[in-house]
Amino acid sequence: MSLLSFIFLLAGGFIAGTFGALLGLGGGVLLIPFLVMVLGVPMHQAIATSIIAVIATSSAGAAMNLERRTVHIRLGMLLEIGTVFGAILGGITANRLSGTLLTKLFSGLTFLVALIMIWRIQHNNGRETVHTDGMLPGEFTDHGSGTTVHYTVKNLPGAMAISLVAGNVSGLLGVGGGIFKVPAMNLLSGIPIKAATATSNFMIGVTAAASAFIYFANGHLNPFVSCAAALGVLAGSMTGVRISRKIHSRALTWVFAVVLLGVSIQLYLK
Amino acid sequence: MAGSNYQSNDSPHTAERWTGVILRLGVWISASLMIAGLLVAALVPSSVVPLSANPSLSEVMNHLVSSSFDPVTLMFAGLIMLMLTPVLRVITAVFGFAREHDWRFVVVSIIVLLMLGGEILYSILLKG
Repeated sequence: MSLLSFIFLLAGGFIAGTFGALLGLGGGVLLIPFLVMVLGVPMHQAIATSIIAVIATSSAGAAMNLERRTVHIRLGMLLEIGTVFGAILGGITANRLSGTLLTKLFSGLTFLVALIMIWRIQHNNGRETVHTDGMLPGEFTDHGSGTTVHYTVKNLPGAMAISLVAGNVSGLLGVGGGIFKVPAMNLLSGIPIKAATATSNFMIGVTAAASAFIYFANGHLNPFVSCAAALGVLAGSMTGVRISRKIHSRALTWVFAVVLLGVSIQLYLK
Repeated sequence: MAGSNYQSNDSPHTAERWTGVILRLGVWISASLMIAGLLVAALVPSSVVPLSANPSLSEVMNHLVSSSFDPVTLMFAGLIMLMLTPVLRVITAVFGFAREHDWRFVVVSIIVLLMLGGEILYSILLKG
């Protein structure tokens, strides 16, 4: 690998990680198109690289969230049964599909993610309904308001079903799947967004690990590409979290939703 | 599981604390190995000795044990350490929940662990 490619990978990973953190995405949705469209990395290798980046950012973020006690560890462990099963199936399936088909599927995924981003902008009124009559009670301190939020989990089978699908998409296309899990956990199960985001982030490392070894065994893990991109994404996501309070995320989300729609069309035509 | 008396965040948080430590350690160790591999490869390009196009887990481990610290082996070691970090996190959760006497979640964690173990075994068998 040339020095220029290395710098491109590191910088691309950093940008994907930074904007991924600012937009509430894992980074994979932005990293894979960069690897495939800009650097010409084969699709399977791009997915494997993204999975490595997802494990790195999830592990680092989860350690921080566990310290802040925003993760509902029991709910996370329970839903991991669904995500891990889905991810193993996704990983096995992906390694039997052609790179072209995976690229088309990823194009569909980016299109869907862009639509979800636009939907979230229009439906985010800052109000949440918290249920206290469900199961698995949890609590966290909202440092913004200084209050302790108590909540319970409703419709656990629904959350489990969404987790299975999110895990499958993660194993198949190398993304964390938080973009599906977080709204579902919030809307279906009544988990506050802060706890849902932290718990989803906690889960995606294990979900990604569930398919990582399959990609490794199939020879899709290029050490130079994976290490450079993963380190870039890790540094970028830490930066993104730090600067997120200073950025007007609504306008940024609109811009990236449009960019993702364009990326989706480009990938489909590739 | 409705109505069962799960310990929430009021519990001693053993599982939370232990898994947090393991995740942090795993990321630091794997990132250090990856950075070391990339730095050596960039500074001493002649030291790059590819293991093989598609090395197995045991091949990487053998290289490490035999002190063949070439850049590619270091990078693969970092990647494998990173992939194992979530698995170690689940193992830690088993012990953390056991310490809290939350046996239901010991079982849940063991189920997740068995699935991950099965996947790793499948991958090793796939490599032959």
